Amino acid sequence: MTLVGIEALNCFGGTVFLDVRELAMHRKLDMVRFENLLMKEKSVALPYEDPVTFGVNAAKPILDALTAAERDRIELLITCTESGIDFGKSLSTYMHHYLGLNRNCRLFELKQACYSGTAGLQMAVGFIMSQVSPGAKALVVATDISRFMIVEGGETPDWSYAEPSAGAGAVALLVGENPTVFQIDPGANGYYGYEVMDTCRPVPDEDAGNSDLSLMSYLDCCENAYLEYQKRVQGVDYKDSFGYLSFHTPFGGMVKGAHRSMMRKMNKAKPADIDEDFTRRVEPGLVYCQRVGNIMGGTIFLSLASTIDNADLSSPKRVGCFSYGSGCCSEFYSGVITAESKAKLKKFAIERQLNERYQLSMSEYEALLRGSSAVKFGTRNVDLDFQFIPGAVAASKGKGRLFLKKIAEFHREYEWI
Amino acid sequence: MQKEEIFKTLISHCCEILPELENHTFVTTDQLRELGANSIDRAEIVTMMLESLSLKIPRVELSGAQNLGELVDILHDKKLQCKG
Repeated sequence: MTLVGIEALNCFGGTVFLDVRELAMHRKLDMVRFENLLMKEKSVALPYEDPVTFGVNAAKPILDALTAAERDRIELLITCTESGIDFGKSLSTYMHHYLGLNRNCRLFELKQACYSGTAGLQMAVGFIMSQVSPGAKALVVATDISRFMIVEGGETPDWSYAEPSAGAGAVALLVGENPTVFQIDPGANGYYGYEVMDTCRPVPDEDAGNSDLSLMSYLDCCENAYLEYQKRVQGVDYKDSFGYLSFHTPFGGMVKGAHRSMMRKMNKAKPADIDEDFTRRVEPGLVYCQRVGNIMGGTIFLSLASTIDNADLSSPKRVGCFSYGSGCCSEFYSGVITAESKAKLKKFAIERQLNERYQLSMSEYEALLRGSSAVKFGTRNVDLDFQFIPGAVAASKGKGRLFLKKIAEFHREYEWI
Repeated sequence: MQKEEIFKTLISHCCEILPELENHTFVTTDQLRELGANSIDRAEIVTMMLESLSLKIPRVELSGAQNLGELVDILHDKKLQCKG
């Protein structure tokens, strides 16, 4: 049977970040509750960054490492997002252009909140496994930003606790028959979805929702997606079958709660064992998520990248992945990572990229929230000023990053810096 | 199962998750949030209630409750429905 999975993976965790403890103090949040979020930093989108620049900046290093012949075998480009910039034209068309891909390539976009990245990966896996074009590759780019956070109002008072964890970021996956980063277990998928109005983007550029309902829905899905996986995979055990677990991570505390609930239900584990298991199998996957925030469609892969970079891979390990997207759809699936996965990921130096982001002051962050209105959904014409927070662009010089230069009659024009 | 019994079970789970409530006098108008339960704690308490009552229903069906009394009412109704 054809092997299938991720051949290359890179994350782009933004150009600038904010220390979220500072934000929590500034917003006068209850600090005990803030600590329970288990979040440290979050990436923020500049006015001259959008889901296209984030996605291209994640994918470009992967493309640069390919030969021209390999690059020409990319026959499918799926963008996965809830931050679309047009109802008709998909982000993939811009990315296809700026990444210089072959024109004999399918371009489209898909949406299902934070599940979108998994949906894209699974469609790509299906394409590769169908063998209708042997040797073809697929590029899946999950990219999202949260431009205008609602800080006050919303349905529950807890909504203000979403601001410290709402990030911006993208993950690019090259999917093909040589899955040295993450070898998919074919057919080992438990999916579970239903209609629920938990969190959503009912109007452009704004998030809304009921955090309690979302949390309950996430937990219901975590359990039921896994139970479906268990039905399909003989002899699986939640504690013993997976060396590591990667979760969609809205915030670290959510994952901690879900893991605790699963370990109790599936394995009747005691609190001390649950804590030990969390540290060993789950925490490696939280490291990057705690520094970038929830990047929606790509979060599950940010967690997978974090797992690979921080895991002990002296022997191959199976990773159980849980993906959840509000609204809702979810999936539990798995794959195998090895020492080679770690070596391949190392080339993209994800941690160093995060370390080299420019740190925003609170006043810069506030200015940014106001300044972002310049590029709200439906903007017809605008010229972007790269001098807005000049340190940000300076920190990107020489890295071959793409930024949004202008919008002319709705058409976006980008520039490499 | 009577509502009083369900309320007692709820109190015991609240105290398990939030031991500082051991000496609190619970009333049906108490809200979990005001008792100091964060969102994860609240979900945990709901999960424990479903397990204790052997109710196999989605947690999201209990998310509308605004206070302990309402949560007890919903659980009581669900328990009746499951029997019916």
